[in-house]
Amino acid sequence: LQRKLRSIWSISLLILLSRYKDRHLHMSVFSQSFSPCGRFLAAGNNYGEIAVFSLSSALSPDATDLSQTPILTFTAHEGPVFSLFSTDSHLLSAGNGEISAWSWAELIKRNTKAAWTRRPNYKSSLEIPEINAMTVNPTENSLVIGGGDNNIHIMDLESGVFKSVLQGHTDYIHCLSVREREGEILSGGEDGAVRIWDHRTGQSVHCIEVYKYEECARPQYGKWISCLTTESDWMLCGGGPSLSLWHLRSMSPTSIFPLSGCQRQANFYQDMILSVGEGQCVSHCLLGGEVKAQIPCTPHSLNTLALNLNSTDNRVRVLTVGGSSHQIDVFTNLSYRTFSLSF
Amino acid sequence: MGAVTDDEVIRKRLLIDGDGAGDDRRINVLLKSFTKWCNSTGSPEEGFTQYQRMLGTLAQCEFSMGKTLLVYDMNLREMENYEKIYTDIEQNITSAHDKISECKKEIQRAKRIRKNRQEYDALAKVIQQHPDRHETLKQLEALDKELQQLSHIKENVEDKLELRKKQFHVLLSTIQELQQTLESNNQKSVQ
Repeated sequence: LQRKLRSIWSISLLILLSRYKDRHLHMSVFSQSFSPCGRFLAAGNNYGEIAVFSLSSALSPDATDLSQTPILTFTAHEGPVFSLFSTDSHLLSAGNGEISAWSWAELIKRNTKAAWTRRPNYKSSLEIPEINAMTVNPTENSLVIGGGDNNIHIMDLESGVFKSVLQGHTDYIHCLSVREREGEILSGGEDGAVRIWDHRTGQSVHCIEVYKYEECARPQYGKWISCLTTESDWMLCGGGPSLSLWHLRSMSPTSIFPLSGCQRQANFYQDMILSVGEGQCVSHCLLGGEVKAQIPCTPHSLNTLALNLNSTDNRVRVLTVGGSSHQIDVFTNLSYRTFSLSF
Repeated sequence: MGAVTDDEVIRKRLLIDGDGAGDDRRINVLLKSFTKWCNSTGSPEEGFTQYQRMLGTLAQCEFSMGKTLLVYDMNLREMENYEKIYTDIEQNITSAHDKISECKKEIQRAKRIRKNRQEYDALAKVIQQHPDRHETLKQLEALDKELQQLSHIKENVEDKLELRKKQFHVLLSTIQELQQTLESNNQKSVQ
């Protein structure tokens, strides 16, 4: 009997170990967010876990291997955490069709109790659509949520009430962006359309079908828009079609970037554009359409790119990228990967 | 208080023991030879030679003392020199820091300018694709003129057509009248 018990125990230990090994093999990082003070990074993965890393200790001169692991890992949702967003005090995470808020101060103290959890009003209660993108409209203090039910839900952050629903997309929404000055919300979806909404009237002001423009379209990849970002009068969008820079006033594409693979996230940074997607590199592009550099990184395919501009401390002004790997690459100098954080 | 200074003296003497052993020994030997010379009972020549020897040792002691004083002066001056260099380097460091921050600001400004230029270029590219406004206006004017000319010609032709129509009408009606009169004349003549 004892021998049997021992063998059962050793087998279960082996299974546990292998599952742990496999866990890291199959992990994908989908979202990232920096704390308001800029000293911590939260990352969400496909198992529904959120890990909080201390950037200040990982970047300090006496950092060890341990400081490249999270100070806290917890399961936040039952489904993958596709989107993370930080407000001045809270970390908002979206997973399994609901949004949870965690106080940053509590997370730093390793307290994983959610401040609140809310769910938008979905029409059908049978299937829970995922939430792919979240962003905050600062002028209205509202949270804009784009999800799998093809609609954009707007929630007031103070009261928690879901104020309005923007309908118009014919397929699920991948990405969102807010133009504060003009009071517009931009959304890109699987249906290949980039819609511009006026947040007051809730009407779709413009609809750009990127795949219909010959110079951008890549029919071999599809028409979906997976990355969208705006800065004053300019917009970057890409996905199935090539990553392209658009001038919003004239609604015309000005530059097309010759990047192979579908881009999943792009940012404007100083005079450059940083873009990640399929492909084991971070692409640096100039506004004119040239690809200046492609910096190699660990994950084979990247999902998220985040720039830490919150802190005034120059030490923590880093770029972090995550993708189909349990490792998150940290760049202190944009030209090369400095080290990797491990989930 | 006396004990402290004694300790210090002892410490200092132990520290400079390297050279001091020679000098110290020399002074002790001098003192011993002096007392021996004072109590000497030998010949005056011996006494004189001992005296000369003592003067020699004294000179040696003075020489080494002079050397140490010079070294001390040199050290002091070296210290001053180093202090000066130190303050100079510190100033250089702070000015370099300032220059670095200035350059950083410059780089930010240059990046912004470059970005604006690139945006301008991107827009210019798009605008260039559209035809020139003057050209289009000129083309429009030319087309307008052509249109006017053609309508003029059309009017003229139409007028001519009307005129010819009327003339033919008149001709035909006169012919018909003549026919009728001829017929009626024929009928009258037959009757």
